[in-house]
Amino acid sequence: MRLVRRTLSSKWLKTTFALGIALAFMLPIVWVFANSLRPGAETFTWLNPLSFQTLIPSSPNLDNYFALLETPLGRGIANSMWTTFLTLVFGLMMCSGAAYALSALEFRGRNLIFSIVIFSLLIPFDAIAIPLANIFKGIGLQDTVMGLILPGVANGMAIFLLRTFFLGIPKELVEAARIDGLSWFGVFFRIYLPLSRPALIGASLVLFLFQWHAYIWPLLIGTGESTLLGPIALANMKSQYAVDYGLVFAGSVVLSLIPLVLILVGQKHFVQSTTTSGIK
Amino acid sequence: MKNKELLPALGLFLAPALLALIGMRLIPAVQAFVESLLKTNVFSGDKTFVGFDNYISLADNPDFQNTLMVTLLFTLIVNPLQVVSALALSLLFVRKFPFSRLLRSLVIFPVAVPPAVSAVMWSAMYRPDGLLNSIFTSIGIPTQGFILDEKQALMSIIVMLSWIGVGYWMLFLLAGINDIPDEIYEAAKLDGAGYLRTTFSVTLPLLSRPLSFVLVATTISNFLVFAPVLILTKGGPNGSTSLLMHDIFIRAYSFGDIGRANAAVFILIGLMVVAVSLQFFLLRRGNEQ
Repeated sequence: MRLVRRTLSSKWLKTTFALGIALAFMLPIVWVFANSLRPGAETFTWLNPLSFQTLIPSSPNLDNYFALLETPLGRGIANSMWTTFLTLVFGLMMCSGAAYALSALEFRGRNLIFSIVIFSLLIPFDAIAIPLANIFKGIGLQDTVMGLILPGVANGMAIFLLRTFFLGIPKELVEAARIDGLSWFGVFFRIYLPLSRPALIGASLVLFLFQWHAYIWPLLIGTGESTLLGPIALANMKSQYAVDYGLVFAGSVVLSLIPLVLILVGQKHFVQSTTTSGIK
Repeated sequence: MKNKELLPALGLFLAPALLALIGMRLIPAVQAFVESLLKTNVFSGDKTFVGFDNYISLADNPDFQNTLMVTLLFTLIVNPLQVVSALALSLLFVRKFPFSRLLRSLVIFPVAVPPAVSAVMWSAMYRPDGLLNSIFTSIGIPTQGFILDEKQALMSIIVMLSWIGVGYWMLFLLAGINDIPDEIYEAAKLDGAGYLRTTFSVTLPLLSRPLSFVLVATTISNFLVFAPVLILTKGGPNGSTSLLMHDIFIRAYSFGDIGRANAAVFILIGLMVVAVSLQFFLLRRGNEQ
């Protein structure tokens, strides 16, 4: 009995400890969220002295979120959604196709091509973004949606992840289907894709975060009205002389909430697919 | 199997991604290297081959020397800090206690926030009249300069980056700890090992692969930190946060000095290769002992 009580209290001790840590991590987000619900003029007024109103607005409203629709930031968030959506659709098609060719199809030079994929993983994209942007400007891709999404659609990490998963699909299954007359395209669409949901979710997260979190690339390549992305618009707004933090924080919440929902949904699958991807 | 028979399938499945990887990773890397060997005349636009002159003049430049020192100092602090914090959090959150999953999700939350958005949020937090200083005031600590203070700016950026990254790296370590077979823990328990003994003699040694992955991955991502510097400090005050990626960007876009910017890109890639190889070397030696 005494032992049970001791483990119980040590459990709640851990909860208290973890709660303290979680609150520290959440504090900036809670503060930003609270201030997105009140006028920008009040952002720094409830800080000295600290009170419950620092984190809880007395009359919360969504005015900032509606006002966002009229600003370049609102437009930028819409642009971010559209480019990320396109990156995800084309990226999944290209990466799963390449992973399929590199795992199911046997051809001469396969290992060489796979080593090109691995080699591309070692070149940090941010470091070569500036020379690549100069190439893109030379061929007229500056300020185009195409220019924004192209570097994100072929993702070495996503190919690597999917290929590792595809290698686990039994060869006998493929051979049986081939004998029954299924084409290589049929094998891909009817066998590989339906069996690979966890890996496809993991790859989607990789592709999504690459595009949604991108900063240096859209800063170099997209400055026009239809290609200005959310994070760039937000940083522009912050560097203006008079910053409306109500608006800035509402934009921050929207830009963070979308990936958050996807991460929480995909979290379990993501952990699974990293453990099966050979990282461990 | 004949290659000919597979050609249509290869063309459709493999060619697009392969061409994109070659065109958007390999070719720009080669082009950057070529450009790093050229000098562009500002007036005529003519390019002349200068060998390694761009690298040599960077090495002689006091601003660039400062950038290298700041980047080195930053690397030596931020990576151990993030790996140790992620490890401590994973050891806490791997255990079952009330609300553990909910609290774990809250720690992961900042991963969702795009880096540029985090920088904008923290720039408001770090203001002299911002949230952090008001908390400090309420517990009797005088107002701090944070990103405005030459002595605190780099540390302020490190704290912000750890807030973003630690939860993410914790996920990889959690997955690693969960993969350690329960039998080993049961055996350790039967042998009378306590919590600390089990952690140091069972968990940590068996976690060495995920740990080395996290160490290498944090090192690479921290060499590439850019948006927070541009948004929070622009390399200042007085060059105290002049990290290499920001230096490259300023060279290329504010100075239009493409040759030296590309030379700096290769110095960055070289530093990353050296740092990562060094880690692999030390980890391997540590494992052999």
